[in-house]
Amino acid sequence: MIYRITRAVYGRLGAEADERTVEQLVTDVYRAIEPVVENGGAGGERSPASAREREARDAGSASRLIVSVFGVDHPGIVAGVSQILADAGCSIIDINQTVVQGKFAMVIIADMTRARESASALKERFRTEGERLGVRIYAQREDLFNAMHRI
Amino acid sequence: MVNRKSVSPIHHLPFTIHLLMEYSQAEILQTVRMTEMEHLDIRTVTLGLSLRDCASDSIERTAERAREKIERVAGRLVSTVNEIGDEVGISIANKRISITPAALIAGGAQSVTDCLTLARAIDEAARNVGVDFIGGYSALVHKGFTSVENIFVDSIPEALASTERLCSSLNVATTRAGINMDAVRRTGEMIKEAAERTSERGGVACARFVCFANAVEDNPFMAGAFHGIGEPEAVINVGVSGPGVVRHAVEQAPRDAPLDEIAEIIKKLSFKLSRAGELIGREAARRLGLPFGIIDLSLAPTPVIGDSVANIIEAMGFERAGTHGTTAALALLTDAVKKGGAMASGSVGGMSGAFIPVSEDAGMIEAAQLGALSLDKLEAWTSVCSVGIDMVAVPGSTSAETIAAIIADEMAVGVMNQKTTAVRIIPVPGREVGEMVEYGGLLGSAPIMAVNRFGSADFIRRGGRIPAPIHSLRN
Repeated sequence: MIYRITRAVYGRLGAEADERTVEQLVTDVYRAIEPVVENGGAGGERSPASAREREARDAGSASRLIVSVFGVDHPGIVAGVSQILADAGCSIIDINQTVVQGKFAMVIIADMTRARESASALKERFRTEGERLGVRIYAQREDLFNAMHRI
Repeated sequence: MVNRKSVSPIHHLPFTIHLLMEYSQAEILQTVRMTEMEHLDIRTVTLGLSLRDCASDSIERTAERAREKIERVAGRLVSTVNEIGDEVGISIANKRISITPAALIAGGAQSVTDCLTLARAIDEAARNVGVDFIGGYSALVHKGFTSVENIFVDSIPEALASTERLCSSLNVATTRAGINMDAVRRTGEMIKEAAERTSERGGVACARFVCFANAVEDNPFMAGAFHGIGEPEAVINVGVSGPGVVRHAVEQAPRDAPLDEIAEIIKKLSFKLSRAGELIGREAARRLGLPFGIIDLSLAPTPVIGDSVANIIEAMGFERAGTHGTTAALALLTDAVKKGGAMASGSVGGMSGAFIPVSEDAGMIEAAQLGALSLDKLEAWTSVCSVGIDMVAVPGSTSAETIAAIIADEMAVGVMNQKTTAVRIIPVPGREVGEMVEYGGLLGSAPIMAVNRFGSADFIRRGGRIPAPIHSLRN
């Protein structure tokens, strides 16, 4: 939900919108609608549409990969990582990257539904590419995060 | 140029990306840190398999059927589980099998040699399917021996000495039945014999034998796993682990944080560990077309530095594990782990208590070497965790009666407190207190610990049965 609101806000304000303003806006909107969302989500009566939606989302999370990359910044890290995903037939759903004091951090959510490579092959490619780029690349299925951080 | 050495560990990354994805930066970092740096892993995916339909009047046929069934049902276990580990991005350390207590299907055995035929067939099947251990060369003798079990128990030392993957256990006591002291006495002798038969390898056969009170039927952990008689045909059980994760969190907490806050931190972490475990277990079960059984919440250490239960205890505020107050700390730890896990999963089972195997835990080894940790303290700890005297090496000169007496004490703690307790002890031939014995791999290395020098032989020789406690009469 937060993700969808953020997309909408960025859509209206444009990509150059101030990050803090966006975050504040999203937080405000989410707080306002939170009680309604909670009721709809966890309440006794669930509409068939939302149950289906939930099922689709749960099923979807097994085919989504969260790729986290950490290391010392230098040109070519994003290119290197996304090239592997492109070669493997994975499309990027969301990408977030920053550099602070020379330290590079990036998280990519990728869709593996049409992946042409197996998980172990992909893992091996990330390992070798990580070594080449001097960064650490971790790829984990989204449902691990879902299991650990969402009730 | 990229300087690879200067790559910073995730711990030191500033929280800078204001992620507005579905997961926050902190959540993603926490998961990556746990799985990649703090040794969070799925300790074992264990396939529980009934072999009851393999029993026949000829032990050769039983052995052949057992081998065939294990190879057929578990054929895809290792590859499937590895595949899941790669996909999900969490390491799954061990793939194992637990079977029906072998004594129950060994009805056709006329001699020790017959039992060994079965033992070797099971071990061979385990090697063929690529699992590191197979548990269930076991017998449930808490109230007495059947004629086959009499032969079977005698075969255990040689069965362990002549196999590599086979694990054995005996249940010698329950709260309902009391303690079978004849079985306890024989277990003491058996352990001595198993040690002697593998004397050139530090008595390593004993590392694959556990003696239980109130053994559980769905334990996924070795060496004590077997597939109980109340279990279905085949089932996937999972053991999670993560002492490193818990230690890190306790260390990060303020040094003056009250203990209820520490319990809260552990509880929340345990929730996350358990959810990750259940995810893997259910996925493995689905892909193998088997029902999912249980997730065992036991915190199990490994010899890797930092992946230690002793270190968690020490992080709570002790100079060394084993000193005064550590029983209370362990009680807090075990209870908090259970509470978090029980909230996370509706399928909690197995032992679900902390493991304190000395040789497999770098912190325990150090504490024992420094004299902070004694056999007596380990016994006391058993009152608040599951396996008490676990992977403890004692001098080879320790008598069978003394070993039986150590077992009897542990069994009494279990029977009287209606809980599982167990002993895995190794009288290392030719070694004395203060020496170390190296087993390698997951079994680690064990400091030889002192036993009480006063005898218990006359008590043990009495045999018989210690009656069930009054509170076993609950109907």
